[in-house]
Amino acid sequence: MADLGAMALLLGMALSIYAAVGAIVGEKIGMAELAVSARRALYMTALTVLAASGALVNAFVNNDFSIKYVADHSNTLMDRAFVWVAFYAGNEGSLLYILLVLSIISAISIRFAPRRLARSLPWTIAILSVIQLFYFGVLIFVASPFELLDIVPLDGRGINPLLTHPGMFSHPPLLMGGLIGITIPFAFVSGALIAGTYGDDWIDVARVSGIIAWGVLGAGLLLGAWWAYTILGWGGYWSWDPIENVALMPWLVMTAFIHSIMVQKRRGMFRMWNVALLNIAFVLAQLGMFINRGGPVVSVHSFAASTLGIIFLIFMLSSLVFAFALFLWRMPKLKSDRAMDSFMSREASCLINNFLFLAVMAVTLWGVLFPVFSDMARDISVSVSAPYFNRVNGPVLLIIVILMGVGPLLPWRKASARSLKQWFVWPTVVGVVTIVALVAIGVQRPVAIFSFGVIAFVASAIGEEWWRGTAARHRSGDNWFTAWWRLVNGNRPRHGGYIVHISILILGLGIIGTNFYQQRMDEALYVGESLVLDNYRIEYIDRGSSERPDRIAQWAEMSVYRIDPADYAQEFETARARGSSGFKLEDSSARPNDELIDQIEPWHGFYVDFNMASVRSGIRSTIVEDLYVIPRDFLTDGRVSIAVSINPLAWWLWTSGPFFLIGTMIALWPQASVERRPVRKKVPDESEGDG
Amino acid sequence: MVSRFTFVNYGSRALPNRAKLVSLGALFFALIFTATGCIREEDITLDQRAYQLASEIMCPVCDGQTIDQSNAQIATDMRLKVRELVDSGNTNAEVREYFVLRYGQEILAAPERTGFNLIAYIVPIFIVIISVGVALLAIRNMRRAARRNELETKLASGDLSVYLDKIDQDLGFTSDLTTEKKDQSSGQSDEAST
Repeated sequence: MADLGAMALLLGMALSIYAAVGAIVGEKIGMAELAVSARRALYMTALTVLAASGALVNAFVNNDFSIKYVADHSNTLMDRAFVWVAFYAGNEGSLLYILLVLSIISAISIRFAPRRLARSLPWTIAILSVIQLFYFGVLIFVASPFELLDIVPLDGRGINPLLTHPGMFSHPPLLMGGLIGITIPFAFVSGALIAGTYGDDWIDVARVSGIIAWGVLGAGLLLGAWWAYTILGWGGYWSWDPIENVALMPWLVMTAFIHSIMVQKRRGMFRMWNVALLNIAFVLAQLGMFINRGGPVVSVHSFAASTLGIIFLIFMLSSLVFAFALFLWRMPKLKSDRAMDSFMSREASCLINNFLFLAVMAVTLWGVLFPVFSDMARDISVSVSAPYFNRVNGPVLLIIVILMGVGPLLPWRKASARSLKQWFVWPTVVGVVTIVALVAIGVQRPVAIFSFGVIAFVASAIGEEWWRGTAARHRSGDNWFTAWWRLVNGNRPRHGGYIVHISILILGLGIIGTNFYQQRMDEALYVGESLVLDNYRIEYIDRGSSERPDRIAQWAEMSVYRIDPADYAQEFETARARGSSGFKLEDSSARPNDELIDQIEPWHGFYVDFNMASVRSGIRSTIVEDLYVIPRDFLTDGRVSIAVSINPLAWWLWTSGPFFLIGTMIALWPQASVERRPVRKKVPDESEGDG
Repeated sequence: MVSRFTFVNYGSRALPNRAKLVSLGALFFALIFTATGCIREEDITLDQRAYQLASEIMCPVCDGQTIDQSNAQIATDMRLKVRELVDSGNTNAEVREYFVLRYGQEILAAPERTGFNLIAYIVPIFIVIISVGVALLAIRNMRRAARRNELETKLASGDLSVYLDKIDQDLGFTSDLTTEKKDQSSGQSDEAST
């Protein structure tokens, strides 16, 4: 199997050299047959990588421990479901996985590329092949997943225990796929630049592949957050860890791109800008690879750390130089067809949104690099983590959300004062009323209240537009739902975008709730004792344990009661005097209004071979708040040490996911009518439509 | 058609609209800030302070986790220490100082806003200001380009109004040629609903 895999990789490498050279030479000397065969070589490359990946998966499934990588990342004891995905659990295998995704999507995108791109396609093929060649080179010469061991061990080392979670099937593949997916729009646009076809022929390919990469990356990020929340016992879902940040940064830039590509599509503007955004996103994705594979920063995601840092650094710098040299060379030809008419236009607000996204990206990058900078400048190490990023990025993200409400309501070209009034009165009223109402009912935390107001503003801006459009169609005879559906179908990119905006608002609810209103309590309980926090009582009923060859697992059975704080008035008072918001009860006998609402089982596993603990929090999730119990430690004296938190609105974090996906899919669904309808409406009093 | 005496048109229509808009916006934000600003936060409990602090202190043996998140023994001990320090009346700054003295600056999850570390906080402000500034400048330049194009088309198509405006300007009737187009659009219907 190892031989087969290694051979497949060698063959693939040869094929991508052929594809790169063949495509360029074929184009230059005008030999169509050579160009065609180069293209087919690209398709074949995908097959070779598929074969190599198949060989590796097969080795995992059959416990072929003669292969070092298999022995390092699996064993006979692990849950069998995970052997299928263990191949991307480590450095070498995940590189192979990335190459697999890249080669397949390259083949698909080239196969289905529109005909009108024929002139630039050879260059696109060459760029894709060169990038694949890089990965082939790394996989063959530096980090081969098919390296053999001299002495075959009886059993492997096993998979990193933190990775044995359902999230393993979705988060890593989507995240890596999304990052490498940015290569496709980048290759198409760069190909067009080299070939000198400056028109907008690449818009649709770049937009569709860009949205797919962006959506996949976004889904991967969200699933990673969910994974962290449910298992890793970090007690959070997003910790602004360097590895999280380097995946977020390209996503932010791609978010800017998928907005401004629409301006190019409808108005023929921002061409240069869109190319620049793709370049930045692509380089950032490479930066992510570099930091992930042995970069200079400390991270909780040390799964793929390796010594490949320098290689990826060189590749990143080369792509940076390539992308921007190409950009500068062709810049004069990327002029906009039309110019900006007004600050009060959708294109203007889109440009501001773009720059704010870039600002968040740059600030995040600055935070990631500041420790390195500090180290070099004065030899003092500092950490830059969540408190920093929340402080510096929070306000900008809030402004972006405000723009999310404003931008789409502005018309293309130029808004009149009347239309502004017409569209913004109601959302503003709703936003202000929300704020006043929250203040009136005694909600605390000004920043959070303002953010809720902003969310209400944006939601009602979307609602207003949907309401007007739906009502108009309803009047002409459709029932409400059909009317709304027709509205959405009338312009899928736009309304799909709205649904994604709604998902962001929902996500925002969760972020505000968990960040501003979380309640916490740490305690160690004997069996029979309870912990009371807010209006929950958590009773420690019993503990269980099991010993497996690879791990010692312990769990606590706990009952969750909803209580009436009045029953515990005295204890609450003592606790408050002590400065606590909750307290421990030795006597767990139920008080009159206690109501058993749930059973939870926080789980704690210790993996001896890895000297590593893995934790599964006990979570009772409702639409209002999550009760979240982390088992920190099972003490030898019979106590369990737990960290309890109440995370308001956490449920909404995960609810945003489906909306995000549905919205993205609607926006992507092919639609001919919008394509044929660039906005060239006259600004009144202008004598010529388009200059 | 634009009036020859552009200032007549300019003065009466466009400016008040924009001024109204700006003042409405200012009022909106002023209202919101006063509305949110006048709520007094309840004094937070010692517990909450301790958890807050725990989320600002890194665990020295875990990669990239705060003691708040980490299940390591040392993190537990440090959390207890934080609570103890808070209980005995130390301020947040003093608690942080306690750990910095023992573990170095690396122990803080966010650098303190003093000395060299101020750079960490100033640079983001510059990044945001520059980004927005560049965006606004870009829009302004693109608008200028738009007007230039328009002018050229008009001149090319033999429309004399531009020429006459220029004469007006040269004679001192109006100071700025470019302001004339500002008010051309107040009646435009929008197409946001499509």
